[in-house]
Amino acid sequence: MNRITELQPAAVDLGRVTKRFGAGAPAVDDVSLQIAPGELVTLLGPSGCGKTTTLRMIAGLEDPTEGRITIGEDEVTHLPAEKRDVTMVFQSYALFPHMNVRANVGYGLKVARTPRAELTDRVEEALALVGLEAFAERPVDALSGGQQQRVALARALVMKPRVILFDEPLSNLDAKLRHHVRAEIRALQKRLGLTAVYVTHDQEEALAISDRVVVMNSGRIEQQGTPRDLYARPVSHFVADFIGSANIVPGEYDGSDIVLGDARIPHTQEITQGPVGVMIRPEAVRPAAQGLAGKVVSISFLGPVNQVDFDTPAGRVTGNLPDDAMGGLRPGAKVALSFAPRGLHLLPPRAV
Amino acid sequence: MADLAQTPPRSLSRAIPLGAVPVWSGIALLLFLALPLIRTGRRFLPLDYMLHPLSLGAGLHWAPAVAAFAVIALYLRPAPRPAQARRRADMAAVILSLGFVGLWAALFSAGTPFGWGAMGASLALCIAAGSALSESNRVRGDAFTGAGILLTLLFVTLFITYPLVMVIRSAVWIEGVLTLDQFRATFSSSLFLFVDNRFTEVNEARMVAYWATAGGAVALAWGLWSSRAAALWRRAWMVPLWVGAGLIAGWAVGIMIWGRGALPSTLLVAVIVAPAATMLGFALALLGQRTNSRAVRGILGVASVLPFITPPFVIGFSMIFLLGRRGLLSHDILGISPFANPLYGAPGVILAQVLGLAPVAYLIIRGSLNSLNPALEEAAQTLGASRWRVFKDVTWPLVRPGIAASLLLASIESIADFGTPLVLGGDRNFLATEVFLALTGRYSQSEASVYGVVLLFLVVLVFIASRWMLGVKGFATVTGKPASGAFLALPRSLEWILLSLAGLWFAFILSLYGVIVYGSVVELWGINNTLTFRHYIEFWNTGWPVVWYTMKLSVASAIPAMMVGGLIAYLVTRHRFWGRSYLEFGSLLSFATPGTVMGLAYILAFNDGTLLMTSTSAIIVLALVFRNMPVAIRASMSGLAQIDRSLEEASATLKAGSGTTLVRVLSPLLLYPLLAGLIFAFVSAMTAVSQVIFLVSAGNNLATVMLLARVERGQLGVAAAMATVLIVMLLALIVLLLVASRYLDARNRGKGLSI
Repeated sequence: MNRITELQPAAVDLGRVTKRFGAGAPAVDDVSLQIAPGELVTLLGPSGCGKTTTLRMIAGLEDPTEGRITIGEDEVTHLPAEKRDVTMVFQSYALFPHMNVRANVGYGLKVARTPRAELTDRVEEALALVGLEAFAERPVDALSGGQQQRVALARALVMKPRVILFDEPLSNLDAKLRHHVRAEIRALQKRLGLTAVYVTHDQEEALAISDRVVVMNSGRIEQQGTPRDLYARPVSHFVADFIGSANIVPGEYDGSDIVLGDARIPHTQEITQGPVGVMIRPEAVRPAAQGLAGKVVSISFLGPVNQVDFDTPAGRVTGNLPDDAMGGLRPGAKVALSFAPRGLHLLPPRAV
Repeated sequence: MADLAQTPPRSLSRAIPLGAVPVWSGIALLLFLALPLIRTGRRFLPLDYMLHPLSLGAGLHWAPAVAAFAVIALYLRPAPRPAQARRRADMAAVILSLGFVGLWAALFSAGTPFGWGAMGASLALCIAAGSALSESNRVRGDAFTGAGILLTLLFVTLFITYPLVMVIRSAVWIEGVLTLDQFRATFSSSLFLFVDNRFTEVNEARMVAYWATAGGAVALAWGLWSSRAAALWRRAWMVPLWVGAGLIAGWAVGIMIWGRGALPSTLLVAVIVAPAATMLGFALALLGQRTNSRAVRGILGVASVLPFITPPFVIGFSMIFLLGRRGLLSHDILGISPFANPLYGAPGVILAQVLGLAPVAYLIIRGSLNSLNPALEEAAQTLGASRWRVFKDVTWPLVRPGIAASLLLASIESIADFGTPLVLGGDRNFLATEVFLALTGRYSQSEASVYGVVLLFLVVLVFIASRWMLGVKGFATVTGKPASGAFLALPRSLEWILLSLAGLWFAFILSLYGVIVYGSVVELWGINNTLTFRHYIEFWNTGWPVVWYTMKLSVASAIPAMMVGGLIAYLVTRHRFWGRSYLEFGSLLSFATPGTVMGLAYILAFNDGTLLMTSTSAIIVLALVFRNMPVAIRASMSGLAQIDRSLEEASATLKAGSGTTLVRVLSPLLLYPLLAGLIFAFVSAMTAVSQVIFLVSAGNNLATVMLLARVERGQLGVAAAMATVLIVMLLALIVLLLVASRYLDARNRGKGLSI
């Protein structure tokens, strides 16, 4: 049978891929990445970091300058997009404005000369997967943003792609809808066992949706790992700062304790002794009987927590404290701060 | 703070205790009394006091003075309540209109030409009445808006609608009788259809009959074959229908090919030129957008400007140099006998028009291609479509609106073209030239008007056809954000085809322009190729004063064209009022009407009686103003569309009137579009032929008209010298504009716009 639910996901392997546009720094610089079948990998980074170019090279829309790309068993490095079993959901959706929903979804099958009966069945199935059966005959510009997004998804799914690519698919939706649609995409991806590569600059989206996150910066992979891994154990200032929010203050590490201002905090981590960057997650900050001396600078109420800025000998530290941990703090109050071990991590000192 | 609070608000309306209505009524009164109300002859200048209203005795012509006086008196009493003020403004508007109507009724019944006083007082009355309408809330907006609306409505009516109505009137109203005689006479004249030419060996009428028969036969076969599955009774009426259509189509094609009259020739040329120019423009646009070669893009950029700065018949005239009876290529190189040269007639006109219109098509289609979202093509590609397939399924359907727009414009321009057929028409007649020949050669206003009406009818037909072709609407690309991405490269084979096509096209253009320059420095083209500067010296003595005069008139027309156009654009985009769609329609009409018809219309409307203006430079300036105004409207509109309304609202909350806002806030922001519109209006005034050819007179000759006369008289050397000078001058102007705009852009980006 030709059902979408029976598609064959493939592994993707990027071997030392580089892409240069003219002279100057390469857009993608020596990137190696393995993606297992059925895995959802997110490429995360600020704009201009090379994530979209990497995605477009997997799609076949850009030709790599160096390196090798394989999908499943086949090398596809210089194969044009139309000859790969890869489909893509575009940031602008790129729905054909002169076709209705059904024609948009069926376009790829029509190009592939799929028999009419099968084409109709598969379009119906794809529209059912995204919950748009009732909209098949609508022109695409009569749909809302969220519906257009789902048409784009159905159009990509109907081809039973071995790999599906998402290029910031949610950036044109409003915040509420974004949460909803990303959960839907994740559920569908798991249910169909799709191999998916997802590009975003939104770290929260990346953490929420991915099996694995690849953080990119200036064309290179900065770090890759599961969302929890990246959040708890970033390898650099860049990753610590980009994923979640973090205080990074200078300190010293002597192998068993972190020396932070006048406080010593026990900590074990494989890292060169000497000066380090100490990453403290705001939710790890608590007032305590003893610890780093701090003075409350300002308090803002954010709903679930209070955001409190402290001045400490090590520098400005921001903490997120729920009401019951506040203990009557007022601006100007002097307190000692302790840090939960899970929110504490050492980074190599910032290169100056 | 204290200082600010104590400073009284400064604004014009507070400084002068009176409102706009009494002030402008006063100005009307003043102008009425100070200036001569009428003229005795064509000339405006002599300020003869015998022509002042005071010397003309009592009569209805005093109406504006009475009205203005009454309104001022009305406004001397304060109106404490808003309702009273509104009623007072209503009354003022009525009184002022009566004054306006009274004045012109008096002038028309006397039949004397209007003078400065009548004109000035009428304009002031209009402004006052517009202000009154805004005061009484009949028009939403302030006094400036009200006056602007009334003035632009007056202008469009007087200088676009009324002259065109006169053309229709002159075609059906002959010697005081409503009749279709002139239509009948013209349609049956050999100049109109011209089927059988007894001087050729072929019997044209028989050839047309063959074509009709062939069309009928093909339709019969097709009808029988296509309806073979249908029921007998359906076939019984479908097949004859097909045959009838086939007969008519065959007859039409036959007439177009064998009849040499104005209608079939014009149609034949338009039917071939519009698609050919559009396809060439499309090919060039595709190439320009997607080639990697900067040289090709640069060449296309330059070549697309050339037709705008070239007087419309110059291409045709350089084709005579290159391909004519004694042409460089046709005679000297290919050795075609002067008597067997196929250029004159349909082939030459078609070739010249395709070359002239392809760049126009290029610009339109390029715009359409540039607004395409490249992600659409990429999406199709990831779904498995090859480059050809992407082109067929995505690119082509989405640029179709651009193609239709280009077809529309190219057909209208081809139908309206006057210069090319005059130079290259050979033994064929054309509608636009027949208007001219009927009026200046056969001295028949009504015949010229019939041709004019036929032309107008064709243009309207083309508009309707293009509406129908475009279907319901164009496609707005469905996207939240403009997407990035590169356009798909052309298939290699297509790129080579397009490159060689563009190369051929460019080489031809280059040789056409080169031949003009060459022709200007040889003694006598084709006969005596000695190099000489004789033609430039002759041009300097006889032609340069005319060119200088043309430049002065062009400047004098470009500035008001820009101002009126900008005002109409502002009113139409930013206000809702009665007559708004009429304003839009009027400007479209003046753009779409063939130039010769507009020229004829001005002759008919302003040749005698009260509105006498012919044989003055004023009428030439007016014709050029209203001809080029639509371009200014378009330029300002697209500029205005990019300016957020909140800017004007901010200005309004700071108590600035809409006139102040337009001048102080919008104009500086629109500087570049306004400048571009101005230059364009100037350039088209410099190259205009058809709309002014009737309006020039002995003392008021224009450069292009003189150039055309030289070409017709065979003074090709001087003509070539003149054309060279004109083209080089205008090209330099355009280059200057480009450099200036680069500089302005760079400066504005660096420092922010200084207002």
